[in-house]
Amino acid sequence: MTDLSLPTALQAPSPRRKKALANRFTPWFFLAPFLTVFAAFFVAPVGYALYLSLFIKKRGGFGPARQAFGGLTNYVRAFQDSEFLQSLLHILLFMVIQVPLMLLAATALALILDGVKNGFAGRFFRTAFYLPYTLPSVIAGLLWGYLYSKNLSPFNQITGLKTDFLASGILLFSIGNIVTWTWTGYNMITLYAALQNVPGELYEAARIDGASNWDLTRYVKLPLLRPALTLSAIFSVIGTMQIFSEPFVLRPLGYVPDNITPNTYLYLVVARDGNFSYGAALAVLLAVFTFILSGFFLRSVQGES
Amino acid sequence: MSYAQPPRLLKKTALLLSLALVASTALAADPAFPKAPTDKVQLEVWSWVPGLDKTAAEFTKQYPNITVKITNLGGGPQTYTKLRTAIEAKSGAPDVAQIEYGFLPAFADTGGLVDLSKYGASDFKKYFVPWTWGQVSPDGQAVYAIPQDTGPFAMVYREDLLKKYGIATPKTWDEYAKAAATVNTKSAGKVKLGNFYTTFAPWFMAMAWADGGQFFKRDGDGWVQTLNNASAKKVLNYWYALIKKGQIGTLQAFTADYWNAAGAGSVASNFEAAWGPGGYAGSLKDKSAGLWRVAPLPQWKAGGKVASGNWGGSSNVVTTQSKNKEAATLFSLWLNLSQTAITANWNNGGLFPASDAGLALPALDDKTKNPSKFFGGQNISAVYAEASRGVNVNFQWAPWFPAVNDNFNKQMDKMIKGQFTPDQALDAWQAETLAGAKKEGFTVK
Repeated sequence: MTDLSLPTALQAPSPRRKKALANRFTPWFFLAPFLTVFAAFFVAPVGYALYLSLFIKKRGGFGPARQAFGGLTNYVRAFQDSEFLQSLLHILLFMVIQVPLMLLAATALALILDGVKNGFAGRFFRTAFYLPYTLPSVIAGLLWGYLYSKNLSPFNQITGLKTDFLASGILLFSIGNIVTWTWTGYNMITLYAALQNVPGELYEAARIDGASNWDLTRYVKLPLLRPALTLSAIFSVIGTMQIFSEPFVLRPLGYVPDNITPNTYLYLVVARDGNFSYGAALAVLLAVFTFILSGFFLRSVQGES
Repeated sequence: MSYAQPPRLLKKTALLLSLALVASTALAADPAFPKAPTDKVQLEVWSWVPGLDKTAAEFTKQYPNITVKITNLGGGPQTYTKLRTAIEAKSGAPDVAQIEYGFLPAFADTGGLVDLSKYGASDFKKYFVPWTWGQVSPDGQAVYAIPQDTGPFAMVYREDLLKKYGIATPKTWDEYAKAAATVNTKSAGKVKLGNFYTTFAPWFMAMAWADGGQFFKRDGDGWVQTLNNASAKKVLNYWYALIKKGQIGTLQAFTADYWNAAGAGSVASNFEAAWGPGGYAGSLKDKSAGLWRVAPLPQWKAGGKVASGNWGGSSNVVTTQSKNKEAATLFSLWLNLSQTAITANWNNGGLFPASDAGLALPALDDKTKNPSKFFGGQNISAVYAEASRGVNVNFQWAPWFPAVNDNFNKQMDKMIKGQFTPDQALDAWQAETLAGAKKEGFTVK
C-alpha cells in the first residue's frame, strides 16, 4: 500500500498539489447526494423548528395574532406547563412497564423459535409473530378500538364482564397492549437474527462440556443476545417517546386525555390551538429529552458490562 | 345573453328575460347573485359534503367561465389541521373551504379568511335563517363565511317503544324525566329513554343554547367566557341526575356501541341535530327502520314557541390566498342559496339548509327517500325547520373553542366517575380553559 503512494510523492509539486486538492474533494463529491438530502430533510427542518420556537403570538383586540420574537418564552412556558410535564410522566410510566415486558416476550419467542428445529413450524410462527408489525398502526388502533368496545368487545362477551378498556384509568395500559402486540414480533425478529449469527462451534463446545438446554440458553445464548437486546431496548425507548397513532385513533371512541403522550399533546397544541411556535419548542424539548434518556440508558448498560 | 348574472338594479327585468330566454339559468326563487368574472377561472374547494363534485358541475353549467375542483377531505379534526397548516404556510390553501360554525372564529383568528362583506356578501343576509348570520358575522360587520348547513336540535324517538311503555311524547323536560323513570321501571333497566354524549361539548351546549345560555361574548376590546352559566348548570344537573339513577345511558356518539344499542331498541330516544336523522338511516339501515319519529325539543316551560339550539352545521369561507375572491364568493353564495344546490346537497349529503327559502323546498320532504322514509314517512324536515326558526340568534363562539371542546371531555369523565359534581365540572371547565386562553394571549375575562 505505502510503496504505491511513493511515486506520487516524488512527482513535481504542482500536479501533486492538484491531486491533493482533488483527493480532498473526492469524499465530499461522493457524500454530496447524502448531504444534500440530509440538509434538506433533516438539518433544515430542525433548524426551522428551532427558529420557529423563538416566536410568540401577540394579540390586541379581535384581530388576528401577530408573530413576535419572544426569545426563550416558549421554553419557559413548557417547563411551567403541568399538562406537558404530566405527559412526560405518563410516557415514563408506560416505558418502565411496557418496554421490559415486550422485550421479555420477544426474547422468549426468539429463544423458542431458535430451539424449534422443524423448518415449517419455525417459518410459520416466525411469520405469524411478525404479522402484527406489518399492519399500519392506525389500522391496528382501529381494530383494537373495536376489541376494546365496552358492549361489543369479544373479551367482554366471552367473560360476561363489562370491562371498559377505554376508561381513562386503564387507557394507558390498553394502549401498551396494542404497542406490545405490534412490536413484540418485530423485536423478536431482531433477536432471532442475532441468534442465527452465533457460530455453531460455540454450541458444540458447550454440549461437549455437558451443558443442558437450559445451561445453553442461560450461559451461551442470553449473553450473546446482549448487544441485540441493548439495540432493541434503545429503539423501543425512542419509539415509546414517539407514540401517537394509537391514542389518537382511540380519541373518537371515548375520553382520551389530550396529554396521554407528549406527542398527542404537542400535536394538539399545533393542529388544534394553532400555536406552531409553542409546538416547535415542545418538539425540541422532546428531542432533547429522548436524547438524554437513551444516552443515560446506553451509559448504564455499558457501565455494567 | 351571457350566463353572467344581472346586476341588482336590473333584477326584475333580467329575471323575466332569463326566464323567457333560458329558463334553466336562474330559478325564479333564487336571489340575484353577484356578477361572474369575464375571464376563465378555476376554483379549488375543500369540503366534506358527499357528491359535491356533481353539484359543482351544475354550477359550471350556469357559469361556464368558472370551473370548480372539489377535494373531499372527509371532515373531522384532520380536515382543519390541513387547512390550518396551509394558512400558516401561506400557500396551498384552497379558494373555498368548509368550516363548522364553532370553529369559524378560530380560523378568523389566523387572519387567513377573507371578509366577504367586501364582496357584497352582506346583501344576502336576508336570505338566511336569522341565527345563522350571527354565526358567520359575529360583530355584524365583517362576514367571515356564507352559512351552509345547520343542525337545529330536535328529539328522535322510537314510537313503538314509547307506545309499549305507555308514554306520550314528552313536551317538557319534566315529562321527559318522568318518562325516563317509567321506561326504566317497566323495562327492568334494560332500556334507557335517552343518552348523554360525554365527549361532545357542542351537543351539551346546544341544550343550554336552547335555554338561552351564552358561553362566549365579545365585550369592548376583549372576550367574556361563561362556560359555567346558569343554563349550563341547569342542563347538566338535570342530565346528571338521570344518569345517576341509571335512566339515561352514556354511550359514545357515532360508535359501533351506540348504533348497536339504537338498532336493538335499548335506547328509546335521543336529541339529534337536523343532520342526525340521515346518520340514523345510513348506520341502522333496516334495523328499526320505520320505527323512529322526530318531535320538537322538550321545553323547560309548557306552551309557547319552541326554543332550540344548534349542533354542528357548517359554512363556506374564502381564504386570503384565493386569487379569485369574487368568483369564490359567488360560488359560496350559489352553493347555499340556489335551489339546485340546496336540493343536491340535501339529497347527496343530508345538509339541512341555512337558506330560509331552502327550508320550504319540496325535496326536504320526499317520503320515498331517506331520512324521511326511515322515519316512517314523517315530514321530519318540518319539525327541524320549526326548530331552526327557534334557535337563539345571539349565540357566539370564541377562537379558542377547539380547546374548550376537548377540555369538556376531561371534566365529564371526572363527573361520571363521581369526582366532580356537575357544578364543579362546569367550574373546572371554565377555569382551565380560561387560563389556557389567557396563555394564548387572548384578552378574556
